[in-house]
Amino acid sequence: MREMLKHNAGRVFLIVLFLSIVGMLFVTRFFSHKIVVFGWITLPLFSGLIFVAVWLVAYLIYFFKFWPYR
Amino acid sequence: MAAIIVLILFGIAILIMAAYGYKISAKTAEDYMLAGRTIGVVVMFFFILFAVSSSWTFYGYPGHLYLHGPAYIYFIWGSVAGFAALYMFLGPRLWAVARLNRYISPVEVLAERYDSKFLRLILSLMILAFIVPYVGIQPLGVGLGFKALLGLPIIVGALYTVVLLVILVLLGGMRIVAWVNIFLGSIYASALLGSLIWGVNRFFPGGLAEAAQNLMANNPELLSAPGPLGRYSPVIIGGTMVVGLMAFSWPHIVIGVMTARDKMLFKWFPILIFIFGGVFFYTMPFIWGSLIAPVIMPGVTDVKAADSIVQTVITQFFPKWFSIYVLMGVIAAAVSTAAVQLMTSSVIFARDLIQGFIKPDASDIQIIKWARWAVVGIVILSLVISIRYTTAMALYLTEVTIPGFAQWGPALVGGILWRRGTREGALVGTLAGLVYLIAGLIYRPLLFGLHPVMPTVIVNILLYVIVSFLTPAPSEEIQSRFFDEVDEFLEAG
Repeated sequence: MREMLKHNAGRVFLIVLFLSIVGMLFVTRFFSHKIVVFGWITLPLFSGLIFVAVWLVAYLIYFFKFWPYR
Repeated sequence: MAAIIVLILFGIAILIMAAYGYKISAKTAEDYMLAGRTIGVVVMFFFILFAVSSSWTFYGYPGHLYLHGPAYIYFIWGSVAGFAALYMFLGPRLWAVARLNRYISPVEVLAERYDSKFLRLILSLMILAFIVPYVGIQPLGVGLGFKALLGLPIIVGALYTVVLLVILVLLGGMRIVAWVNIFLGSIYASALLGSLIWGVNRFFPGGLAEAAQNLMANNPELLSAPGPLGRYSPVIIGGTMVVGLMAFSWPHIVIGVMTARDKMLFKWFPILIFIFGGVFFYTMPFIWGSLIAPVIMPGVTDVKAADSIVQTVITQFFPKWFSIYVLMGVIAAAVSTAAVQLMTSSVIFARDLIQGFIKPDASDIQIIKWARWAVVGIVILSLVISIRYTTAMALYLTEVTIPGFAQWGPALVGGILWRRGTREGALVGTLAGLVYLIAGLIYRPLLFGLHPVMPTVIVNILLYVIVSFLTPAPSEEIQSRFFDEVDEFLEAG
């Protein structure tokens, strides 16, 4: 993580991950709605899948293009 | 009878692998305890995923979802991020400093980083105290499966698992524990996936949407928060995710970092965590606990009965041979987790307590011997504790074990990433967090209605940072060994 803080790409990567966690905490207020996505995916599952997708894309871009130790 | 024959053959297969591991091992402490630091990315994935995925993922996790609705999955999302963070943020540096200095235990790393034998003692005892009861829960999980499927007393399944565990760890060491996790993990994942597909085809011709429609009509609270019992408010859901994030501090996962073959593992490993761990593997027990089981078998309110809900559905409605396969999957899950926990405990006992305090000049052979004795002692102790103090699995994991593991988190993160972190800061923070946790578990109002992780880790972090700033910085030699040399090593291609 020390190496990530030393360049812009690393700092952006960490900010994206942090904001995704904040987003996950924010959306919990909507979980009282009985909504299912695609007929069966409940909101806590759906938000988590989006969360993992954000982390996956951010990680792929950073670790394969910018990570100093790659 | 067929079930017993299959279980005997299954046990024999594991024992053969353990014996093979003993034959090829180098008989050095580094080889026995850290697999000679030769674990590659694929083996590491199975090793870690199934070290994490205990019988809890078959019992406690779907059981809790069954009772409280889908919001508990936030613990999984937090955990996925926590494990990924361990390998992305801490892993490369922890691996590098351990490799450069031949450190074998993560506690040893921190004791050297903070130049404190007292911290080594505190961390060793603390980790052992919280990991030992959790080891014992795994055989008990198998005992539940034996009881449900074969009608045998719980202790029979527990003893079967203990025998497998002890022989596997005694003979094989960390390398075979990691390799066997590929075999065990494949069985467990296929049992979970197979049971899921079978269950959906058998009961819901319209697919999972049919199950969701059924719940919407009959028990809609199970599709939303706070759930039927009103437990999961937004604050509690957020806290549950934070508890999951602390997964980076689970000692049996941290030690896995030190077994890595090279730094490229840290580049590739997270992709497996996100795709196969986060999206695929943990979604299966989620669907079981939150959609399938509540429709097929509604109305269970007892916590322990809910813990067994998936097993009960499979035993009652699935063909007998399939139930046996699923039981093998549960045994695989229990053994894969408990074996890694046992290895970690024995490494800490032998390397940090025996070699660190009693026999500093012990040879590799002597240390391995101590580690093996520790395996036997720990497994007996853990089983006795978990039989004597039975509790619901989901609660024990999240309410006691994880808060306990979390107390070395600030010292671990600070020690690896922050030059200014000091011995006094680590000692004060860790001890304060630990004492607060114990007091809070005994007298709950001290936790102000929060999850035990939250207030204790906040106090731990604050004291660690404040005391570190108030005390002299670590020596130049320590800063050089843990930061400058690590930077050079990692940058050197």
